[in-house]
Amino acid sequence: MVVSTHSKPPPPPTAVLADTDPRVLRRAHFFMRLSRAWDSRFEAMARVGRIGRWYSAVGNECTTVGTALALGANDSLSTVHRDLGAVLTTYLDPTRLAPALFEDGDQTAWDVLRPPPQALLDTLANQVFGRRGGFTRGVDRSFHYGLIKPEWGIRHVGMISHLGAMIPVAAGLALANVQDGTDRAVLGFIGEGATSQGDFHEALNLAGVMKLPLILVVENNRYAFSTPLSEQYACEKLSDRAPGYGIAGETVDGLDFDAVHAAMNRAIERARTGYGATLLECMLPRMRGHAEGDGSYEMIPAAEREEYLKQDPLVRFEASLLARGHADQQRVERVTATARDIIEDAVERALLTEEPSLAEATRPVFAPGEVATAFARQSTEVTGG
Amino acid sequence: MAETTYIDAIRRALGEEMDRDASVFLMGQDIAAFGGPFRASRGLFEKHGRLRVINTPLMESGAVGAALGAALVGKRPVLEMQFADFVSCGFNQIVNNVAKTYYRWETPVPMVIRLPFGGGSGAGPFHSQSPEAWFAHTPGLCVVAPSTPRDALGMLKAAIRDPNPVIFLEHRFLYRREKEELPAGDLLTPLGRANIVREGTDVTILSWSWTLHESLAAAAELAREGVSVEVIDLRTLTPLDEDTIFTSVRKTSKVLIVHEATVTAGFGAELAARIADQCFEWLDGPVRRVAYADRPSPYNKKLEQSLLPGRERITAALRKLARY
Ligand SMILES: Cc1ncc(C[n+]2csc(CCOP(=O)(O)OP(=O)(O)O)c2C)c(N)n1
Ligand SMILES: [Mg+2]
Repeated sequence: MVVSTHSKPPPPPTAVLADTDPRVLRRAHFFMRLSRAWDSRFEAMARVGRIGRWYSAVGNECTTVGTALALGANDSLSTVHRDLGAVLTTYLDPTRLAPALFEDGDQTAWDVLRPPPQALLDTLANQVFGRRGGFTRGVDRSFHYGLIKPEWGIRHVGMISHLGAMIPVAAGLALANVQDGTDRAVLGFIGEGATSQGDFHEALNLAGVMKLPLILVVENNRYAFSTPLSEQYACEKLSDRAPGYGIAGETVDGLDFDAVHAAMNRAIERARTGYGATLLECMLPRMRGHAEGDGSYEMIPAAEREEYLKQDPLVRFEASLLARGHADQQRVERVTATARDIIEDAVERALLTEEPSLAEATRPVFAPGEVATAFARQSTEVTGG
Repeated sequence: MAETTYIDAIRRALGEEMDRDASVFLMGQDIAAFGGPFRASRGLFEKHGRLRVINTPLMESGAVGAALGAALVGKRPVLEMQFADFVSCGFNQIVNNVAKTYYRWETPVPMVIRLPFGGGSGAGPFHSQSPEAWFAHTPGLCVVAPSTPRDALGMLKAAIRDPNPVIFLEHRFLYRREKEELPAGDLLTPLGRANIVREGTDVTILSWSWTLHESLAAAAELAREGVSVEVIDLRTLTPLDEDTIFTSVRKTSKVLIVHEATVTAGFGAELAARIADQCFEWLDGPVRRVAYADRPSPYNKKLEQSLLPGRERITAALRKLARY
């Protein structure tokens, strides 16, 4: 681990190992399975052409869930296109969604603040299908929205297509926390390809200078569309860049739940106690192509693909649960089946919902006020309609 | 009463709004103890401290993005671009992130981006541009360019209070040249409203910022020649106050559009198109423009002056138009 040289020394890394807390493991298992079930369903629909495009997060679950699980109410989350696991983990109270899988004492204080999980899951499914009931009611695609509801403890800012552009926004969320004098932190995600963007540099430099409570997780799945690491950057590890910004940096095996979760807990402790930002690189297997069926998967050498498919983080996580006696085979199957049923229901319901009203296309671009009023006064005839 | 310069009016607006609302904060390069190259924030760092008057590293894109993040969770950032020309480095954040947020997921983005812009001081191709059309083309941005200290004060205060992103263009040439007496109190100028600065019956001039003053000088000249020119200060470009413009054009039947930005696809083209569409039956002459030639702004002052759309060119264009 590399830490800023011109700052106070960091607090000693606390050994927060997941296997000390079975509640964390139950939650992690459920959300990883929920994320995988969602991907399986959407991949299947993409294969038969029922949806146009799907960016699978298969292989990212341990990283997205393992980091997001460390957040508390009103920490902020900034996601890109393979972070469904983090979104589900942040939004949903699993004890109300799948009561049979959880025990007394599993429901947290934050869970109590969260809204009914089924409704939120339905909104998410509608969002992904571009339907009326989605967060954007049809005007933007899958994970391109935000949900800021302090009363639910949720502060989530989704992506725009321009990769890298959300990193400064995540820094700005962290800046607001500093201005408010809270100990709240921000978890942001980015693919390794987008670390080549200027916004990555500008945001991490700002985070270093201002000691912002930002944790930027790089999901390094070794490819960006078709571009391999060797054509993306020339440093050995992306976390090597951290000392250049005066922030902490770490590279962990993104398939190792204990390592991911412990690194995230160290980062969040630094963020909460004024030691600033962390660049946390998680190494992932590229188990799928860029988007389903776009030909990019075939660009990966076949032997390498075989290797990645063997590294499934869910298989590994479940093996460790079994080995350490946290679950038996029956429970593993029950969690898998429950997750599949929950997703199946949500997708079926979403497929029956209505298209958005056409009026959504011309809804206001300005929030209510004198600017919005002036905009509404402008003639619409000039567009020929 | 002492006169307030344009830059003093900006500083007064920032100070008053920071006093009024603790969520207002300033960000920019060299704006804290130094006060910015034009001293727009002088004294505010001492009063409000480093978390409300924030010196950023030398960056634009990252600063706009960070301001957006803060705005999403309830802050009201006012971001100073050191010179308007550098806003191009933050272009993606402004047109794709800031401008589209409200339409996409209906969370307001209260943010002001201040752009000290314009030529006339021999500052060369990279410190003289007028970038309003770059932003007027993007739905979701309010683009304003006040021409007087009174409007600079009132519109900056209104912009800070509005729940939307406002691109706030301040002409550097006006900073210390324009001054007027301003009363005390909470002076607001509505956004989205043009101002008829001089009434007339023969020709309408549509302009804003520095060229508005040149247009007024030309209108005074034409008055001596018996031509009555109405001069409208648009103040806000988007959303456009069409009522005021169309009413004037229907009265005078002739229009001259004057702006400092280069002519092709400048905001004048939008005005001309809307007037052609909505005032066709009333027009008695071509809709004309006086604007910058399609060139970068040259460094040598004589070269620059030869391209700036000043009062002589406006006067000549008015004479031609009046003869129609
Ligand atoms: C600024 C920008 N340039 C190009 C693209 C097109 N694009 C979409 S995803 C992608 C690859 C992203 O790779 P990476 O960041 O590693 O994430 P991954 O998809 O591997 O998870 C590219 C090039 C984009 N979305 N944004
Ligand atoms: Mg990648």
